[in-house]
Amino acid sequence: MQEVNAAQRVVARKQSSEMGRRIWKNKWIYVMLLPGVLYFLVFKYIPMYGLIISFQNYKPFKGISGSEWVGFEHFQRLFTEPDFLNILSNTLILFGMNLLFYFPVPILLALMLNEVKGDLFKKTFQTIVYLPHFMSWVIIVSISFVMLTMDGGIINDIIEYFGFEKINFLLAPEWFRPTYILQVIWREAGWGTIIYLAAIASIDPGLYEAARMDGAGRIRQMWHITLPAIRSVIIVLLILKIGDVLELGFEHVYLLLNSMNRNVAEIIDTYVYTAGLKQGQFSYSAAIGLFKSFIGLALVMIVNRIAKKMGEEGVY
Amino acid sequence: MKRKLVSIPLSVLLVSSFALAACADGGKSTPAATTGVVESPKATADNKPTAITIMAPLNTAQTPPDTIIKELEKLTNTKLTYQFFPADTYEEKLNTTFATGALPQVTYLKNQATFIQMKSAIRDGQFWEIGPLLKDFPNLSKLKSTTNDNTKVDGKLYTLYRGVDIARQGLIYRKDWADKLGLKPPATTEDLYAMMKAFTENDPDGNGKKDTIGLTDRNDLIYGSFKTVATWFGVPNNWGLKDGKLQPEFMFPEYVATMDYYKKLRDGGLINKDFAATSKTDQQKLFTNGTAGMYIGAMTDVSSLNKDLIKNVPTAVVDVHSMVAGPGGKFAAWALPGYANVVLFPKSATKTEAELKKILAYFDKMMTPEVANVANWGIKDANYNVIDNKAKKLDEEKWTREVKPFTDAAIGDEDTSGRYLGIPTIPAQGKADELKIANLKFAVQDPVAALDSKTNQEKGPQLQEVIKDATNKYIYGTIDKAGFDKAIEDWKSRGGSKIIEEYNAVYKK
Repeated sequence: MQEVNAAQRVVARKQSSEMGRRIWKNKWIYVMLLPGVLYFLVFKYIPMYGLIISFQNYKPFKGISGSEWVGFEHFQRLFTEPDFLNILSNTLILFGMNLLFYFPVPILLALMLNEVKGDLFKKTFQTIVYLPHFMSWVIIVSISFVMLTMDGGIINDIIEYFGFEKINFLLAPEWFRPTYILQVIWREAGWGTIIYLAAIASIDPGLYEAARMDGAGRIRQMWHITLPAIRSVIIVLLILKIGDVLELGFEHVYLLLNSMNRNVAEIIDTYVYTAGLKQGQFSYSAAIGLFKSFIGLALVMIVNRIAKKMGEEGVY
Repeated sequence: MKRKLVSIPLSVLLVSSFALAACADGGKSTPAATTGVVESPKATADNKPTAITIMAPLNTAQTPPDTIIKELEKLTNTKLTYQFFPADTYEEKLNTTFATGALPQVTYLKNQATFIQMKSAIRDGQFWEIGPLLKDFPNLSKLKSTTNDNTKVDGKLYTLYRGVDIARQGLIYRKDWADKLGLKPPATTEDLYAMMKAFTENDPDGNGKKDTIGLTDRNDLIYGSFKTVATWFGVPNNWGLKDGKLQPEFMFPEYVATMDYYKKLRDGGLINKDFAATSKTDQQKLFTNGTAGMYIGAMTDVSSLNKDLIKNVPTAVVDVHSMVAGPGGKFAAWALPGYANVVLFPKSATKTEAELKKILAYFDKMMTPEVANVANWGIKDANYNVIDNKAKKLDEEKWTREVKPFTDAAIGDEDTSGRYLGIPTIPAQGKADELKIANLKFAVQDPVAALDSKTNQEKGPQLQEVIKDATNKYIYGTIDKAGFDKAIEDWKSRGGSKIIEEYNAVYKK
């Protein structure tokens, strides 16, 4: 018995010294890793401790250790809120529209830009399409307001000129979602192309040459070479995008939100703002935030698994 | 040997990172309590300047140069650290700073709404009660007791206030248009309607096109035009007495009458059609670009509106007006609670009453005419001149850049601090100053301003959205009276009934 133990100890020691040696051998690589690990520890993991407040009635003066525990009360309040289902479905619908209408646009743009020859034109065009990304949502929404308003907005003036009835873009609930998604595309599409263009640039030109030799036209080349080559990038970006499932841009939606379109425009983020932060209800806000993160995590895991089943790499 | 060399910096890094983390965490839960780093001025002689840190909202585009701070420090024997944050995002900044327990010694809120949100934290005992101390300060004890009462929490005073005109609401309109169409200032809400209709339909700008509207409004039922007009119609201020009981304003028939009035304005195109989605900037733009003939709100805005308007329409003449009688023939003016902002003193940053007194002593000096003039007008001959015992700004833009942030952080009122009154830049400004005093006679006060309701604390703003949405929908015609009543029932069932109960319980006391 004792002998066995001793033998085990020897093996264990050997293993650990083996590992120690390996680490020692590559010590500088580990040292280089350190700042990254520390960064995540200090700025990403330690702050998670703050999530505790979603199970408390957090009082800043008393701190986390002194605040009263309330269990799942805040979650209960959220789930029993009369508008909860409405807000959740608004969030998911906007997210779905994002995937359906916005997500393919940068891919299409990248494919199209890739076909453009002349470098000057390509560069100029690329700059033009990604510039809106640097404008804040306030600016994007104000520009839209000026264009869409019924009191002298250019779009309504055009509609009226052609003899149609003016459209109440800003207030009508049915126009909220189209306005939202068009603004997202307007601002982000060009920016989104950057990664795809980079992926396309790394494709071996020999493949295209070979395809041309075989008589493949441009569309064929696009379909059989470019798209498969960037497929993994598309999947990774899709999974990452899904991770942000409920990050629809608080500022953007909040700026578009008004009394008339609230029943389609109120999303979790805006709700956190009006019901939580604006009233200083930190615990309630934290609870909603936690709930949101759970949905995001669950969706990423599902999609990642699907991606793997399809033979792709996934993100982890 | 070698091993040691590496492990030393490594362990230092590790330890320090944990120390950092511990600090961050400590700061979150009990700020400064554990570290105990507080200035202790009493150790040295009394003429050593008191160090004070102040957090305040900034309503200008950039932080001011420190010329005014230097002057204030000299006059009050202090060492001031002002932390200015843009007013647009101030509430967020305030909430996050508060949540991490890192508020400075002097914390400005933003407005009445922010103050109401802070009340539960105040009740928790996180801020100093200053009421009993004020009597020791000759200038601070001059603060108006009615306004102080409006800022009390459970009958105790925790804040100093920055005074604002109580009854400044009124009408700013295009006098050149009215003259051209032969219209007199409206005496009743009927006249007001007629004026808006004429401004819309009778081509007041004389360009032969129907491109003008009567009134410009925005997505704000309180600080936009709605509440001012509602008060003219006889709606109480937030809450009113009905059958001896406090009831919210929207349960009064006059509220529905006001909605009907706005519905008529909207249906007739006398108001900008998208008002429920219009921001304040866009609303003012409609006035200053010559599209709209009326702006209802704070009459004191007339000089800035006028300035932008004559840039676009050099021939424009603006005027102000108040005293519009409602259908009952009575005058009324919506009254603000007398404060625009308040100052709180967090216990987390100020440990002892002796320190608190030093800070209060600073504010006491701020209310002497000499210091108040620096905070309001700047440095004499550099920022303003004195003519007939009144201050005249030398350069509006320079004043805005250098002095305005401190004006917004000054406490008290014109009459309590004894500072100079200003010389109006245009005649309408002078008239607005007179009207806001004349309005006082008809001021309608908010009866619950000094009362508290726990449910309102928690759900008030969220519930208010229900009514705000219903009001807008009624005006836009998507719901009718029955739909509006349903919204009231909804409001009641989601906590409104409890709010009514709670207010009435404390009101009777």
